[in-house]
Amino acid sequence: MNPDILHGLAQASLPTSLLSTAVGALLGLVVGMIPGMTISSGIIIVLPLTFVLDPTISIALLLGLYVGGMMGGSFSAILLNIPGTPSASATLVDGHPMAARGEAGKALGVSITAGFAGGMFSFLCLYLIAPSLAEIALRFRAPDLFSLVFFGLTVICGFAARSVVKGLLSAAIGLLIVTVGQDPMMGTARFTFGNTDMLGGIHFLTALIGLFAIPQLIDNLRPGLTGRGSAQPQARFGSLLPRLAELKRMVRPVSIGSLTGAFLGILPGVGGPIAAFISYDYTRKTSRNPEDYGKGALEGVAAPESANNAVTGGALIPMMTLGIPGDPVTAILIGALLVHGLAPGPLLFMERADFAYTVIFSFFWANVFNLIIALAGLRLLVKLLALPKAALMPAIAIFCVIGSYALRNSFFDVQVMFAFGLLGLAMRWIGMPVVPLLLALVLGGQLEEHLRVALTASKGDISVFFTSPFSLLFLCLSAVSIVWPFVSAHRRRRAQSGLEKE
Amino acid sequence: MKTLKTVLAAAAAAALLAALPARAEFPEKPIQFVIPFGAGGGADIEGRLLADEMGKILGVTVVPVNKPGAGGAITYSHVKNAKPDGYTVAWNSTSILTSTNIGNVDYEYSALEHIGRVEYQPMPFAVRADAPWQTLKDFADDCKANPGKYKVANSSSGSATHLAAIAIMNAIDCEVIHLPVGVKRRNASVLSGEADAMVAPLTGALNLAKAGKIRLLAIPSAGRNAVIQDVPTAAELGYDAHLDLFRGLSVPRGTPDAVKAKLSDAMIAAAKSDAFMALAATKGFTVAPLGHAEFETLLAAENQLVKGIMQQAGLYKSKKAN
Repeated sequence: MNPDILHGLAQASLPTSLLSTAVGALLGLVVGMIPGMTISSGIIIVLPLTFVLDPTISIALLLGLYVGGMMGGSFSAILLNIPGTPSASATLVDGHPMAARGEAGKALGVSITAGFAGGMFSFLCLYLIAPSLAEIALRFRAPDLFSLVFFGLTVICGFAARSVVKGLLSAAIGLLIVTVGQDPMMGTARFTFGNTDMLGGIHFLTALIGLFAIPQLIDNLRPGLTGRGSAQPQARFGSLLPRLAELKRMVRPVSIGSLTGAFLGILPGVGGPIAAFISYDYTRKTSRNPEDYGKGALEGVAAPESANNAVTGGALIPMMTLGIPGDPVTAILIGALLVHGLAPGPLLFMERADFAYTVIFSFFWANVFNLIIALAGLRLLVKLLALPKAALMPAIAIFCVIGSYALRNSFFDVQVMFAFGLLGLAMRWIGMPVVPLLLALVLGGQLEEHLRVALTASKGDISVFFTSPFSLLFLCLSAVSIVWPFVSAHRRRRAQSGLEKE
Repeated sequence: MKTLKTVLAAAAAAALLAALPARAEFPEKPIQFVIPFGAGGGADIEGRLLADEMGKILGVTVVPVNKPGAGGAITYSHVKNAKPDGYTVAWNSTSILTSTNIGNVDYEYSALEHIGRVEYQPMPFAVRADAPWQTLKDFADDCKANPGKYKVANSSSGSATHLAAIAIMNAIDCEVIHLPVGVKRRNASVLSGEADAMVAPLTGALNLAKAGKIRLLAIPSAGRNAVIQDVPTAAELGYDAHLDLFRGLSVPRGTPDAVKAKLSDAMIAAAKSDAFMALAATKGFTVAPLGHAEFETLLAAENQLVKGIMQQAGLYKSKKAN
């Protein structure tokens, strides 16, 4: 066996790494479960911690949180009929009816086991596909990288399907903000207004904390701080673990969900919700008794649950091998690794293959601990649904400030964070999506750098983008990616209206 | 009138006394050790160890703080504007000359005071292991026959690696395309064949050279480097190119001489510590501490060199108020 693989496995299996994976999974389950808190906000809370922790421990913590968050979201979907995370939306269609007829325990059990299966399947994909993909990606030159990043940016259309104009405007603002700082080719100052702090540019993690956390804090403030977290969940669970016959019934939906989830996860930006709905739709359509779906069929819980957990491993593949984030969570993961001087991308597998495998095996453990903690602690965990917001929200606010300061030890970044908070509120007010802006912030700098390096190398000849096979492939994929969300939104609408009819 | 003067004098004296803290020995609280580049890079790894060793010698914690951005200018501006009491120290490098000459800040390197140099390292000219050029002369001959064809990668425009590349290209009298691909892409761009060669700090190129992925053709240095004994200097090959990457310490202007002397002594002792020497041996930089006066002389000469290369390449801009 490759020594890097063994080293990675050993690093990920150190007691400290395992402990932080477990803590991460627990935190993830909690934040995923509580409506009004997202995986992103959970990660923002632990982010300043990861700046000082060892990178192995940091990534274990963050991956635990990512995996746990995906699963936690389904608990509130099943128990409260409110998805804790957007990816859990499809779960409530059959999950809540199951809970309503007193089978909450079974629904949760199916959700946990299906999620575990999906997560493990995506781990295998990550383990098998990522290293070879990285090897190919190592051959990429600036034109290929430009087209790849461009492809990453076209994901914006997926988030902008409701209003293309607002989505593109949001992305344009992001691209504009990226130009602040030093020109990547000439080193000259741009839009710095003579301010030395501005010369360093706007860090996307600072912007992200402001954009996501501040509007969320304000949101939670509105109904009044005295309110309890949410309605009391169902007290009676019934049995938790699925029986053998039920496990057999889960095989088909879990297979469909795992495959769809892992595959759609690899495509940057498609994300959990879409994968969950597509797998649900497909499972129902190919079922022998589709009329049971929507009334509490356990297959209807198993499919989306395995799909949204499989998305996590899938999404880690482009993040690790190409440095392209597919969602806000992987964007933060990239940032958290960069802070440690570890740049996710093809070179990571060459220069720090041991660390790349540490990440992969941490993901494995994250799924294992997620299963253990979810099964063992479920009865306790759901009590947290009633946690008072008066305790939760100030803590988040404090971590926002610490996190943005600690990034570059600069108070300027705290001011930037608050400014982006205001921007986030303003955007929400006019109904403009923030994710395109975020993606533009993460990818914009690279987009410009690769474009200009490519054109410098080719002496201004733009045909390089079309003569390189990789570049051409990514440009074609970009075209597909621009059209895809409209098709999938249409399919999703059909799936949902189909449900309503039955 | 007279009473007013007396009162004012007394007030001034009181203010002066208040401003002077009880004469305690420096240092009596933690020292901020500001690193101009991000975590995990060469400046960070070397700086953190030096800070740690300095802390042991001074008896207070020397806290490494990364303030990356703008090629080092964020850190230099921060330290320049800090209180000149010795508690804020910049871990400088050749970047203190490049970032001030590119014209984004309105001061020169001399706006800070300099404690001393700790180390320096060569910036080798490297090609891919399967490239046709075995020596720098091979590359020079090929390049002269094909002006403007070959591409040389560097860490960023106006950075030390860019300037070293310009200096080498001038010396071998050859016209290339300089690609400022960034620290993260520099090595990858040579491996992918996008760039034909690169100039990198030795600490950033050593692992790939040891792994047999790249070949170091020459170093623009005064002498050979201990960890790459077989790589000739440009001067040995008859090419006049010389630019090393140095690292040392700077403090705000106006820092008391006694404090500077204390910092300088601690810096030199830390540089010579076993731990730091061991890091130098594995990473490939040369520990060669210089005190305040010699470092100032070196800086003045290096600044002329940097300014000269940048002026010639059209990168030099001065925003200094004159």
